[in-house]
Amino acid sequence: MDLGGAASMSRYLIGNLSDVDDPQDLYAQMTRDDYDQYLKDFRPFEEQLLKARNDTSLIDQARKDVQTQSRIASEVAARNTERYGGAGLSNAQRQQQQRTLQRGTSLAAVGSINNARVMQREVNQATLADLINIGQGVNRNALSQMNTAANLQSQRYNAYKNAKAQHSSQMMGFGSQLGSALLTAFLI
Amino acid sequence: MSGPKKSEYKATEAEKIQAKVAKAEKDYFNEKYSPLLREMRDLSLKENYGGFAAGRAQADTMQTLTKPSLAATKAVDTSAELASAAGAQQIMAQGKGLAAKRQRQVGVLATARGQQADATTGLASVAKLEASDRLQSAGRKQMMREARQGAAMELGGTLFSQGMQNLEDGSGFFGGEARDKLAAANKNQGLFRGGMKRLGDRLAKKGYG
Repeated sequence: MDLGGAASMSRYLIGNLSDVDDPQDLYAQMTRDDYDQYLKDFRPFEEQLLKARNDTSLIDQARKDVQTQSRIASEVAARNTERYGGAGLSNAQRQQQQRTLQRGTSLAAVGSINNARVMQREVNQATLADLINIGQGVNRNALSQMNTAANLQSQRYNAYKNAKAQHSSQMMGFGSQLGSALLTAFLI
Repeated sequence: MSGPKKSEYKATEAEKIQAKVAKAEKDYFNEKYSPLLREMRDLSLKENYGGFAAGRAQADTMQTLTKPSLAATKAVDTSAELASAAGAQQIMAQGKGLAAKRQRQVGVLATARGQQADATTGLASVAKLEASDRLQSAGRKQMMREARQGAAMELGGTLFSQGMQNLEDGSGFFGGEARDKLAAANKNQGLFRGGMKRLGDRLAKKGYG
């Protein structure tokens, strides 16, 4: 196992790391890149998985499997019969075996497809539950982000209003000082 | 008294190193770990767990039920039993395989969503920092505006009251006549020195001296 040469490791040494001039700007850039990367790499996958809750692949496969298993069972029986030189079976017994196989195949088809439906439902519901859990996180996160944004806007609004009020109050103070000065100058 | 120096507000060495290391770790993550999740995503889409499990189930069924036996060959329902059992095993295997596949896919999505949540949480933190900076900046600007207005009002007020005083003294609003008289009385004293002396007298009268 190659643990990496000194040359490849040296670029990670503190002394060789590049300076970060504006951490705030870089942080914003990193998070924007991460979100874009998520959209590019995982959004189509997510859409595909959301559709998978209505998947019918197990049921479709069960329909095919029943025919295949019936053919295999029939071929196994034929080989065994040949192996035992006909196994002393009469024509009536062979016909009965065929009929039983056909009946069994029909029953197996119904049973398999029913089982496949049950299993498909379980898998799809488990997927749905997992997706709902993920969705809850997405929703919680989105609300939390919006809450932060709304709070920040509120803070900005309040700060602006406070500054305006402070300014008005100061202007009134100046006005009253000036008024007093004028009164002093002209009336006293 | 001197104003604030920008150099006093520079990042400390520890902060610089922290930022450097964080950037290096993020780059390393992007280069080495981020592709792993994409690899897992592709695997979870491509790998046919159901097919693999069904293959094993088929082998197990055949090994158990197809041992050559005269009694089995003679029995009328052996083939039907085999078909039925093999079909059931296939469904079971395909179902387990699909469940495992979905589990893996959901795991990949949850991790990707977790990373995405980290990204948006990061953006919120940046927004907070930027908002805080902007508020502080707005506050500073407001403070400077008010200080400038205060200074202008102060100057205006002083000019006005001094002008009125000068008018009262009969030397014109800007005090030109009184200045001319003073200059004539103290010929050896320049205009600047005379003005500074008057300022000193006034400050002493106001109690600053």
